[in-house]
Amino acid sequence: MDIEATGYDIPVGTYEDAKAMVGTTTPVRVGEVDVNVPMIRHYAAMVRDGNASYWDDDFAEEHWGGVLAPPGMLMTWLIPIEWRPGGEAPVPLLTARVPLPGDTLINVSHDAEFFAPIRVGDHLGVVEELVDVSEEKRTSLGVGHFVTTVSTYRRQDGQLVARTTNVLYRFTAEEGQG
Amino acid sequence: MIPGVSYDQRWWEHVEQGAALPRVEDEISYRRVIMNPATTWDYFPGHHDPDYARSQGQPTIYIHTMHFLGFVDRLATEWGGPRTFIARRRVSLRHPIFAGDTMVGEGRVVRKYTEDGERRARHLVELEVTVTNQHGELCCLATVTVELPARGG
Repeated sequence: MDIEATGYDIPVGTYEDAKAMVGTTTPVRVGEVDVNVPMIRHYAAMVRDGNASYWDDDFAEEHWGGVLAPPGMLMTWLIPIEWRPGGEAPVPLLTARVPLPGDTLINVSHDAEFFAPIRVGDHLGVVEELVDVSEEKRTSLGVGHFVTTVSTYRRQDGQLVARTTNVLYRFTAEEGQG
Repeated sequence: MIPGVSYDQRWWEHVEQGAALPRVEDEISYRRVIMNPATTWDYFPGHHDPDYARSQGQPTIYIHTMHFLGFVDRLATEWGGPRTFIARRRVSLRHPIFAGDTMVGEGRVVRKYTEDGERRARHLVELEVTVTNQHGELCCLATVTVELPARGG
């Protein structure tokens, strides 16, 4: 599967290749944009969420010290812009860089802990760690492996804001499905 | 005050264990699924390319994790009010919500407790939230811990 097909350059490899990567921790990767109002309101519109903390500047300033970012947007603040002048490819998430036989993926669980509100003007950085790759498992979708990563998010002043544990399923779809 | 925005706040003291959260139904059109990549910059093709979704064994494009998270948080904060802080949220994704499906969110209060914080006690409530589709299939199971303001400070 190439970049054009998935938006991610998913590397192919063996289970042993993937196991050898367990314990890998990325350098700090800093988001390309500050937490900002247009993206917050566009997302809130997508979810149909009329929370005053996202829509009312004065209310949000009084209670949070600025417009609040919906916590569900956490990952968004670190998604790289997919093209830049000169053609340097963005670095995908660690979870999409694990070599395994499966040519596609789907997310299965996400556990997030928040330590401070994320507000307009914050600039986040993330460190990702590959903590587990399961043995081969069969599911209704096909055959593959479960990949577990832990991501730690900090603000520009060093304040820890969130930690997430994500599990995705890297698999090859069964023949005859779809 | 902005028209259409709710400012009602629930106080921790008024939370009753076992209470139900208001049910929320939301029809998810193709346009709404396409809003996933548009709003979050997540261009994984399962959320915008039906051919790719079919190659994965799915009938068509489906919403992404961040949409489930936003919907679960919306249930929690519409119940709690705009000063609700999502402290922890554990989500298990069981079945996709496809373009054309209806998401149905339901929840209830599981536990109400306090915890020592850095400067003051934290007033916490644990909620269990489910997201099902129009066929009643469980799509997402979530446990959300929220911090609410308390009358006592």
